[in-house]
Amino acid sequence: MAREIVASPMPGIIKSVDVAVGDKVNEGDTLCILEAMKMENPIVAPASGKISEVNVSSGQSVKRGDMLIAIET
Amino acid sequence: MDMKSGLEELHRRRQKALRMGGKAKIDRQYKRGHLTARERIDKLLDPGTFLEMGILNQSDISGMEDETPADGNIAGFGRIDNRTVAVCAADRTVLAGAEGRVGTFNKERRITKIALEKGYPIINLGDGGGARMPDIMGSDGLSSMTFPVEGLRYPRKVPFIATIMGDCFGGPSWMAAKADFVVMVKGTCMAVSGPRVLEIAIGEKVTPEELGGWELHAEVTGQVDAFAEDDEHCLRIVREFLSYMPSHCDEEPPYVPTNDRPNRKLDEVMDILPDDPNRSYDMHKIIKSIVDDGKHFPLKPYYDPSLITCLARMNGRTVGIIANQPLFFAGAGGAGACEKAASFIVLCDSFNIPLIFLHDTPGFFVGKEAERRKMPGKIIVWMEALALSTVPKISIVVRKSYGMAYSNMAGTNCGADFLVAWPTADISFMMPQTGVNVVYHPVIQAAKDPQAERERLVKQWEYQSAPWRAAAKHLLDDVIDPRDTRGFIITSLDILRSNGRGFMSKKCLQAWPTVL
Repeated sequence: MAREIVASPMPGIIKSVDVAVGDKVNEGDTLCILEAMKMENPIVAPASGKISEVNVSSGQSVKRGDMLIAIET
Repeated sequence: MDMKSGLEELHRRRQKALRMGGKAKIDRQYKRGHLTARERIDKLLDPGTFLEMGILNQSDISGMEDETPADGNIAGFGRIDNRTVAVCAADRTVLAGAEGRVGTFNKERRITKIALEKGYPIINLGDGGGARMPDIMGSDGLSSMTFPVEGLRYPRKVPFIATIMGDCFGGPSWMAAKADFVVMVKGTCMAVSGPRVLEIAIGEKVTPEELGGWELHAEVTGQVDAFAEDDEHCLRIVREFLSYMPSHCDEEPPYVPTNDRPNRKLDEVMDILPDDPNRSYDMHKIIKSIVDDGKHFPLKPYYDPSLITCLARMNGRTVGIIANQPLFFAGAGGAGACEKAASFIVLCDSFNIPLIFLHDTPGFFVGKEAERRKMPGKIIVWMEALALSTVPKISIVVRKSYGMAYSNMAGTNCGADFLVAWPTADISFMMPQTGVNVVYHPVIQAAKDPQAERERLVKQWEYQSAPWRAAAKHLLDDVIDPRDTRGFIITSLDILRSNGRGFMSKKCLQAWPTVL
């Protein structure tokens, strides 16, 4: 099993988190919504697997490169 | 010398040159995960097409002759996709790829001259730490190895391509900086001077990675256009880039027939573009849906990714696409996006490649940091390049296009031959929510129900920003069904090239600097 880390592509605010630890996700599923420049950016799963870590919550501001979510693939 | 012994001597000298710097040095190159210069040339060119020049070169420094086969730079002519190119490859196994007076200066000058006169692309495979000691030492040494300025006197006459395939300082870094297209192999470095020199000269301790690693050039400097996993990948990228380019500035890029129908309906764009105007999407998907066979070739993909610059084909002919990328900062371009757009316009205009603009931007990136990077100047440099470009231009407003960015994306009266919008277009000087607060602040404050008044004004603003008003006044040429975009672009390009001159530009941008 490999651990896939989903990092923030840019600074912004987490608008919503759509998954919880233990959830099964498919590649391309929306994990959370990152708002930047008044635009909502769906952050999608880079691979299918099980959510092993959720490092952010709604309303939280994040920097570029911050770890958001980890997936066990 | 009689013929027989002459031929033997020739054979002996050639064989020695083909052994390069010897087995130990070659093994070191393999251990680092790289190919030798000769293997690189073989993989770059069509099989059996290499005509080498100067295999008998050696150093002109007394006592160095035996250590310097081909004087450390393997060069000549060959073919890529059956088109002639000139190639020079630094040999890392000969004195660490350092540049000698004979191999780099005498030999390259000759090859460059022919390539420029006859119109062949020049490819410089860089791998070395700059000028060789002792060649460049002393007033006579340095004076005999000044920068080969001839190569700069005919800018963009032929495509000039540079690769970084090992730690490069000095010479190969200058070549990359003056190139039209640069590929870097991950794990290498490109900088002015190496860490050792830096430590001695200014006491700065730094790793090659920090100094000029691929991530630095990808994200911070924008001096490299594409990145390769290894040498073979790097050479494939060079070949692919050339497939989009003409051999020289007086011809059009090669025509590549396709089975992709010119009027193919783009049903998928209806799903790619979200209904909610504040939802982002991947512009690459829209581009791939429009172009031939879903294939495009992005340049500087990690440098200010809020703007995409890429080459692709439409009905077999090369086009350059400049598209906002809503996935990054909502498509708001910063200084990097401006540099990227300007240098891409210069490239396309110089080599007769029509430009297509796809708008979806809330405007330029604003704020303190952006201003510190000379935002007004950067925006205008993009505009200057756009204004001087004379290749056909087609501009399509996909969704948002606000403020000055609308002009930069070839909006009304800014140089597009055909300018159309999708019905989803939203054109104004600012986004509705922000604009209403800026313009109508006193009105909203004075209203009985400020919230309701605000909402009414936003609705009114949105209505006015829709493309219909501009289309009615012929400030847009048309509003098109997004599914017809491919057909529209191809028909427009046919109209723009049927005057007998094809896509040939007037080349007003040829002498533009290579780094902005």
